[in-house]
Amino acid sequence: MPTLSMPSGALILLILRVLRSGSLHGYAVAQRIHVLSSETLQVEEGVLYPTLQKMLLKGWVTAEWGVSETNRKVRFYSLTTAGRKQLQAQQADFDRVTEAIQTILRTA
Amino acid sequence: MGELFRRLNYLLHRRDRDRELEAEMLLHREMMGSDHKRDFGNITRLREDAREAWGWTWIERLIQDLSYAARILRRSPGFALTAVLVLSLGIGVNITAFTLFNMVALEPLPVRDPASLIMLQRRSPTRIGGEMPYTHIDFYRQHSHTLSAVMAIMGVPPVTLETDIQPAHLSFASANYFSELGTHPALGRLFDPVLDDNSSAPPIAVLSYRFWQQRLNADPAVVGRVLHLNGKSVTVAGVLPDAFASLGADRAELWVPILQQPYLIEGSKLLSDPEADAVRMWARLAPGTKAKAAEQELLSLTNQLRLLDPKNVWENEFLLSFPAGHLQVMQPDMYQVVAMISVLTLLILAVTCANLGGLLLARGVTREHEIGIRVAIGASRQRILRQLLTESLLLASLGSLVGLVLSIAVMRVTLTFTDAPAWLSATPDWRVFGFSFVIAVLAAVFFGFAPALQIARQKHRKPIARQVLIAAQVTASCVLLIVAGLLVRAMHHTLYTSPGFGYQSVLSIDPQLAQHGYTPTAARAYLAQMESRLRERPGVLSVALVKLPPMGHSVARIGTEIQGKHVNIFPNSVEPAYFQTMNIPFLLGRTFHFGEQHVTIVSESLANRIWHGADPIGKPVPSDEPSSTPRDIVVGVVGNARVNALSDSDATEQYWPAQNDDMPQMSIVLKAVGTASAMYPAIKSISQSLDLRVFPEIRPLESLFQENVANVERIAAAVSLVGLIAVLLAGVGIVGLVAYTASQRAKEIAIRLALGATRRQVLRAILSQFAWPVALGLLAGVAIAATASSALRSTLYGISNLDPASYASATLLLLLIVMIATVLPARRSLRLDIAKALHHDQ
Repeated sequence: MPTLSMPSGALILLILRVLRSGSLHGYAVAQRIHVLSSETLQVEEGVLYPTLQKMLLKGWVTAEWGVSETNRKVRFYSLTTAGRKQLQAQQADFDRVTEAIQTILRTA
Repeated sequence: MGELFRRLNYLLHRRDRDRELEAEMLLHREMMGSDHKRDFGNITRLREDAREAWGWTWIERLIQDLSYAARILRRSPGFALTAVLVLSLGIGVNITAFTLFNMVALEPLPVRDPASLIMLQRRSPTRIGGEMPYTHIDFYRQHSHTLSAVMAIMGVPPVTLETDIQPAHLSFASANYFSELGTHPALGRLFDPVLDDNSSAPPIAVLSYRFWQQRLNADPAVVGRVLHLNGKSVTVAGVLPDAFASLGADRAELWVPILQQPYLIEGSKLLSDPEADAVRMWARLAPGTKAKAAEQELLSLTNQLRLLDPKNVWENEFLLSFPAGHLQVMQPDMYQVVAMISVLTLLILAVTCANLGGLLLARGVTREHEIGIRVAIGASRQRILRQLLTESLLLASLGSLVGLVLSIAVMRVTLTFTDAPAWLSATPDWRVFGFSFVIAVLAAVFFGFAPALQIARQKHRKPIARQVLIAAQVTASCVLLIVAGLLVRAMHHTLYTSPGFGYQSVLSIDPQLAQHGYTPTAARAYLAQMESRLRERPGVLSVALVKLPPMGHSVARIGTEIQGKHVNIFPNSVEPAYFQTMNIPFLLGRTFHFGEQHVTIVSESLANRIWHGADPIGKPVPSDEPSSTPRDIVVGVVGNARVNALSDSDATEQYWPAQNDDMPQMSIVLKAVGTASAMYPAIKSISQSLDLRVFPEIRPLESLFQENVANVERIAAAVSLVGLIAVLLAGVGIVGLVAYTASQRAKEIAIRLALGATRRQVLRAILSQFAWPVALGLLAGVAIAATASSALRSTLYGISNLDPASYASATLLLLLIVMIATVLPARRSLRLDIAKALHHDQ
C-alpha cells in the first residue's frame, strides 16, 4: 500500500497528539506518525519543519536542544499548556467532523 | 501578543534560528538516510520554506533586492545620476507646490486652539458679503451661545503717522482679539478684553514687531510713547511678538481697539450705522460645538435681527462659516486654482515619469543578459519583477529626497525675499514628508511598472509601450507649453497693449469723506474746492470725480443676464471730465452734462452685448425693473477700460453721472504733466487747508498698474520655466526612445539598405511608428489645455483662454522639438556599417 502524505491541518493535530506523551525530536515525530499509522502516512520533511516552525510561533510547542538515544545533539519538541488546550480543541472538532461524515456515509 | 513577540524574536535572532534549523534538517537527512533511499530534495529550498513560517521573508528579500539595486546603480553612475536629477526636478516641483498649499491651507496657525476658529460671511441666494455692519456683529455677540467668542476686525485705508510721507497700515480689532488668539506681548501689554472694550477707555495702539523695529528704530522705551495717527494721539500699549499670526493674514502695522474707531476717524459713524458693511466677523466655536450647529443658531438670530432692523437684513440672509485656523481661509473658487496648479505639477511628474520609463526600457536591452542568467538559475518572473520595481523605488526615493532638499531651498529663498509673516518656516512638517513619500511611490509605479513588466517577461520587442510613453510625454508637454504660452501672451498683452485707459501720470486721491461723516452737501463743497484748487496748480492737465477709482480698494460688480447670457458689468458714477482725465476714447455720442439724470454711457463691449453693433445712442438700456421707472438713455459709447478688472476679459463697463448722494463716497482722479508724485506736497497742503481731520489717500496709478503687471510677469516666468524644463525633459526622453528603437532594428535597417532602399525610405519606416502617438499626444494635450485653462480665464488680461496664437505656437514648437528629437538619432542610426550589422549575431 502506497504511503500517503498529509494535509497540514491534520498534521498539526497528529504532531500535537504524538507529543502529548513526551518530547520528541523532528525525525522521531515523523517516524512515530509513520509507525503508528501502520506505515500508511508519510510526513514529508518539506512539510514537517515549516509546520513545526509555525507551531513554535503559535506557542503550542517549545524546542530545546538535547542529546538523542544515539548520542547526537538534536532538538526536542514538547507540548506547552497552550498546546495541550489546542490539542483538546482540535481533537474535539475532529471527532465531531468525522462522526458527522461517518453518519452520512452510513445512512445516505 | 505572544505570537508577535516570538515573531520579532525570530527576526532579531534569525541567523541563529537559521543555523539551528539547518543543523536539525541535516540530522534528519542523516537519520533518514539510514532507513530510506528517498531523495530529500534541495535542502536550501526546504529551509527557505520552513523559514517562511516566521513571516519575515519579505524583509529579507527587500534587503536583498535593495542591496542588489544599490549595486546595480553604483555600477552605472551616469544613468543613476541622470535619473535622480530628472526625478528630483519632477518631484521637487510637486513637493514645492504641496508645501505651499500646506503652508496656506493645512498647517494650523500658531494660535490657541486654531481648530475652533471660524470666519463668518453674510450670504443670501443672490448676494455675498465678506463684511457686515458692526451693529449686526454686536447683536450676534450678545445673543449667541454656540460661539464662545466673537471677534470683529475692520481694515481701513492707510493712515498718516506724525508727518511722514510713508503711510502706516492700521487695523481696528475687538478688545478680545489678542487674548482669544493667546498672543503674548513682546513688550508692554496687548488689548485688555475688559478695559479696552469701552469707547471711553484711553486710546491705545499695539504695534507690530516689524513696525516697531523699522519705523520706530526698536525704541526700547516705546511703551507709553504717544503717536499721532491722522493727527490723533494714541498711546503705545505694547508690541506684538515677531511671530504673531493674525487671522486672515491681516498685515496691519498698528492695531487699535475697534471702539476707538470713531475717535481716530473723526465723524465716522461706521460702528453705529447698520447700513455700513465694514467689519469682518471671526468667532470661536464653543467647546464641543460643530460649525453647522453654530450656523443653525446664527440663522435664527439673523431672523430675530430682521424683526429689529428689517431694512438691513437681506432676504433669505444667513451666515456661512469657514474654518479659519489657517493662513488662508479657503473658499470654493480658490480650490479651482489649487486644482489647476495640481494638474500642471502632476503633468510635470507625468513627463518625468514617461521620460524615465523610456530610459529604463532602453536599459532593459543592456540588462537582457543579466536577467537571462537570473531566470536560468531559477528566479521566477515575479521575483525579477519585484527586483526591478525595488530598483525603481530606490531611484524614486533618492529623487524624492533630492527633490525635498530642492524644495526646502526654494521655500527658504521665497520666504526670505518675500515679505512673509515671521512665523512661517521652510522646515517641512509631517504632511510634507508624507507627501514626499507618497509621490515617490507613485512615481516609482508610474515610471517603473510598465518597463519592469516588459523586461521581466523578456518581451520588449513590442513597440506599444514606447508609443504610449511618447504619447504621454507629448500630451503633458503640450498642455504645459500651451498654458505657459497663454500666460506669456497675457503678460505681453498687459505690457504692450493699452489697458484702455491712461495710467501714466495719473493719481487717485481718496479723501474718504463718508468715513468722516460728511453729508452730501458738505462733501460736494469740499470736493469742488479741492478740484478747483488742484486745477489752478501748474502741471495739472485734468481733474475729475469718480466713485470707484481705478485699481481701488473696493470694486462693484453687477452680474446680469443679457439675452440669456451672463454678463459682468462694472458700474461707476463719474463726472463728465472723467473720460478725458483717464484718456478713455469716445467712440460714439458725448459725455455727460453736469447735473444730468437718467442717462448712461456704456463701454463698447457692453454695447456689443446688447445691441450687436447697432447704434445704441438714444436707446434705453433694457432692465428687469417695472416699466414705470424711467429708463436710462444711452448718450455715449466709450472704449473698454477695465479699470477695476484688469485681467478679466469678459468684463463690461457702464457709467452714470455722479449724483448728489454719491458725493461722500467720491474720489478724485488727477492727470498731471510729468511725474505725478511731485504733486503730493501740494495735494497735502490743499487738504490740510480744507479740513484738518481729513487725510486723503493718494495712489499713483502707474505704480499700481506696474505692480499688477509684475505679478503676472512672475507667474508667467515661473510657468514658462517649468514648461521649458518639461519640454526639454520630453525632448531628451524622445531622443532616447528613438535611438533605442533604431538600435533594436539595426539589422532590419541594414537589410533594407543592402537591398537598395533609399535612406529616406528607411527613415520613414523607422519613424512611422512614432507618427500616431505624437499626433494623438498633441490632440489630447490641446483638449486638456482647452478644458483646464477655463479656470485661468479671468486672470488672462484680455486674452481668450482659447487664444489661437498660443495654441498654434505651442503645438508648433513642440512638433519642432519632437521632430528634431526623432530625426537626429534616427539619421545617426542610418550611418551604420551594413556588413557589420548583418554579421552581428542578433
